[in-house]
Amino acid sequence: MIQITDLEKFYKTEEVQTIALNKLSFGVKEGEFVAIMGPSGCGKSTLLNILGLLDDPDGGSFKFNGTEVAGYNERKRSELRKHNIGFVFQSFNLIDELTVFENVELPLIYTGVKPAERKKQVEAVLEKMQIMHRRNHFPQQLSGGQQQRVAVARAVVNKPKLILADEPTGNLDSTNGNEVMDLLIDLNEAGTTIIMVTHSEHDAKYSHRIIRMMDGQKVTENVLEM
Amino acid sequence: MLKNYFKIAFRNLLKNKVYSLINISGLAIGMAATILIGLWVADELGYNSYFENKATIAQIYQHQTSNGKVETGPAIPRPLEFEIRKDYSDNFEYVMMSSWTQPRYLKFGETNIYRTGNAMQEAAPDMLNLKIIEGVKDGLQEKNSIMLSQTTAKALFGSETAVGKIITINSEDDLAVTAVYEDIPENNTFNDTDYIIPWTYYVTTQPWIEASKDQWNNNSFQMFVQINENTNMEAVTSKIKHVKQKIYPESIENNPEYFLFPMDEWYLRGDFENGVQTGGRIENVWLFAIIGIFVLLLACINFVNLSTARSEKRATEVGIRKSIGSQRGQLIFQFLTESFLIVLLSFLFALGIVLLFLNGFNNLASKAIIFPWGNIQFWFLSLLFIVITSFLAGSYPALYLSSFNPVTVLKGTFKAGRFSALPRKVLVVAQFTISVALIIGTLVVMNQIQFSKNRPVGYNKEGLIQIPVMSSQFLGKHETMRTQFLASGGATSMTTMSSPTTDVWSNRGGYTWDGKPEGFQEDLAYTTVNYDFVKTLGLNIKEGRGFSREFATDSNAVILNETAVEYMQIQNPIGKYIRDSDTENPIPPMKIIGVVEDMIMQSPYSPVKQSMYAFGINRNIAYYNLRLNPNKSISENLTLIEDVFKTNFPSTPFDYQFVDEEYGKKFRSEERTASLARVFTALAIFISCLGLFGLAAFVAEQRTKEIGVRKVLGASISQLWLLLSRDFITLVVVALLVASPIAYYVMTQWLQKFSYRTTVGWEVIAIACLGALIITLITVSFQAIKAAISNPVKSLRTE
Repeated sequence: MIQITDLEKFYKTEEVQTIALNKLSFGVKEGEFVAIMGPSGCGKSTLLNILGLLDDPDGGSFKFNGTEVAGYNERKRSELRKHNIGFVFQSFNLIDELTVFENVELPLIYTGVKPAERKKQVEAVLEKMQIMHRRNHFPQQLSGGQQQRVAVARAVVNKPKLILADEPTGNLDSTNGNEVMDLLIDLNEAGTTIIMVTHSEHDAKYSHRIIRMMDGQKVTENVLEM
Repeated sequence: MLKNYFKIAFRNLLKNKVYSLINISGLAIGMAATILIGLWVADELGYNSYFENKATIAQIYQHQTSNGKVETGPAIPRPLEFEIRKDYSDNFEYVMMSSWTQPRYLKFGETNIYRTGNAMQEAAPDMLNLKIIEGVKDGLQEKNSIMLSQTTAKALFGSETAVGKIITINSEDDLAVTAVYEDIPENNTFNDTDYIIPWTYYVTTQPWIEASKDQWNNNSFQMFVQINENTNMEAVTSKIKHVKQKIYPESIENNPEYFLFPMDEWYLRGDFENGVQTGGRIENVWLFAIIGIFVLLLACINFVNLSTARSEKRATEVGIRKSIGSQRGQLIFQFLTESFLIVLLSFLFALGIVLLFLNGFNNLASKAIIFPWGNIQFWFLSLLFIVITSFLAGSYPALYLSSFNPVTVLKGTFKAGRFSALPRKVLVVAQFTISVALIIGTLVVMNQIQFSKNRPVGYNKEGLIQIPVMSSQFLGKHETMRTQFLASGGATSMTTMSSPTTDVWSNRGGYTWDGKPEGFQEDLAYTTVNYDFVKTLGLNIKEGRGFSREFATDSNAVILNETAVEYMQIQNPIGKYIRDSDTENPIPPMKIIGVVEDMIMQSPYSPVKQSMYAFGINRNIAYYNLRLNPNKSISENLTLIEDVFKTNFPSTPFDYQFVDEEYGKKFRSEERTASLARVFTALAIFISCLGLFGLAAFVAEQRTKEIGVRKVLGASISQLWLLLSRDFITLVVVALLVASPIAYYVMTQWLQKFSYRTTVGWEVIAIACLGALIITLITVSFQAIKAAISNPVKSLRTE
């Protein structure tokens, strides 16, 4: 599903140029659950942003479902993104002014789903995430775990092929964290590809494969036994 | 999608109440000011729209040159009418002679009222599209008839039928009412034409009018025309331009030229300088239109500044929306929708403000504007106004907010860059530049009015009244009246004049005198006066003496003002003669018996015109001028005078004017400009401060942690106050530096139109700058001190 080859990304400030990704190459197959680990500043988030089509690489190739997408313009990237990719963030990133229902509904609005159909889909996903009873609450009225479940619900409501999770449990206690990981496992088992950036060895164990990074390069790759 | 946008917008409004309040109230006030100014401008531009034939109506104007200077005016001679009708009538739908608008007494039974009106030819009702309420439209056919406006008819007859009733005009003649017409509305020429009498009647009332029918040099009448559909003003002008020179070659030295002055331009473009049209009220219209736009701009700047300043709060939302798949265009649209919503809300409040203050505004501007509820054009323009304002206020924030990179904002590391506050700073400077410039402008206008008011008038206008006596019942009565007025003790002195003390109704030339320069064409303000002229008005004699009963020859004497002596270049004027240059039938030579200090009769902004005060009685008396008894109260004096008046003229209303009040009216137009300017300047300052208040609150909030840290490290409240206020003060100082020279330049230009004028002094600029600084300091300090005295523990704990 994803194949990156010699991917490069630089950050320039006035004096120094930092290499965030240094000729990074790997592939992810459809239905896989991949964890990416590494110390702070190793390029994990940069990689995730590029994979999520939020950012553009400075060099190398990025094939998404066999199509070269490196060099796509903003409009094309956003088109591809909204139909194929869901995001889960460490800080949940819910819109404070929208209710749970409205937050989850948002991606469907952007993909142009009709209101009646939207209601059905949102309710289905809220049911699945067990937060239906909180549908009319605003994010601040929820616990961290509940907020992350809403965020996951929002990420999957469009039935994306790929979910990118950036330290999804980073702001949660272990109980809530495990619940969220269970949700991701369920999704993966239902066929969704997941790429997760994490600091937590515990969380990484849920995945099929761990890619460890250092200074913008892949250092090891271990496939875990199920 | 739109619903989602509105939802977010609305919830944001509710969540940030202070900012919403600042935004909406600022915009509402700005929009209200703009709507009021818009209505005012529409009213000005719509002047004379009551007349359906407006596009084809014109007044005949005349240029005349004397001593190389071109004078332009509407006064024309009677024979022009006959010439136009004889040779050029195929150019015109209507030709209509008219008198000046002047007051007369109208009496029916016991009711006697004093109203202004015109004598006009038969075409008037058709040409002016008078709406007849009662009677016939061609009501000027019979010589002894009169058409009345609705209000005048009501004042005379109450609810009774007017047509057919006989009224007495000026206690002289009986005229039959032939028609009642709808009042001509306020914003139209002829709005003070309360009645129309037939031209045929008018020309027989006074011998001089009768005699003027073949006098080409007697410019004492008006002529209005409506041109044919198939021609245009320029074409007709080119035909009639030189009529006078052709028929009356003697006039060639003055190069008289006639032209059609279109009705469209009467009100707004009525100024001529040396034969060239130079504008007029239209400049005021522009001035206020610009002020209106500025005020709106100020409110929009608040919106821009507050939205961008608070962008960090919206950044996450932008990031999320982008990561979910929103395109930038969609975000721009979302933010524009939001500003549209706010502007729409503000517009509704603005309408409320306009309705609330329309009356007060009408008083201030001396207008009769009615809110145009039923006017589709108004609502269409309002919609356009809302959309434009939304774009003005919303487009920069929309572009700015939608440009955020989702990667940085979602990482949580988003901090607006070092330069992101720059546009905001520029806008604050722009805001205060406008406000300070408006303050300086307003101060200069007020100064100019005060300066002119303080100008010595050359006579004592306090305790002086004038009684209009322009009807034949007063003829020959002035000596008796004088004796009785003085005997009553209400007045200490009386004279008579052929024009009001505060105006000149006649100008003359055609004289010779010893030492008159070759080819000199004099133009003198001409007023006839009576014995005790100098004493009653309190004029200052420079040389010679005033008119005296002790010298029989004084009935052929003149007094000149100082400017006239200089203008005519007469050395040792006392005892010299001024003679008629007409050698065939000359008026007797006039002996100069005195020279008085200049007396302001016309504009207080212009130099006093060279004037001649000749002795004249009977038909030359338009006013009795009385010096009230300084030892009695004004009301006592007036009662005594009224008693004398009523004894002699029992059925005539006692009408009088205080000369100082009449003089005060000369400043009305400028005072109106000043008070409007004051109001809008105050609004501009208020809106700017509102924005500054919001920004200060934002900065204080943004720097809460910094303030906490500094406090913990020992910073005093005053140090913190300085820290937070300094940036804003710097911006305002920059604005002062920009505004001062601009305002100085513009106002110096504005002052050029007054020949008697003040200067834009450094005091004015200093006061404006100091005022702006103090207001800024107060506005900003509120937030700064609030932040400085807050407990640092609280602000640090929030991290």
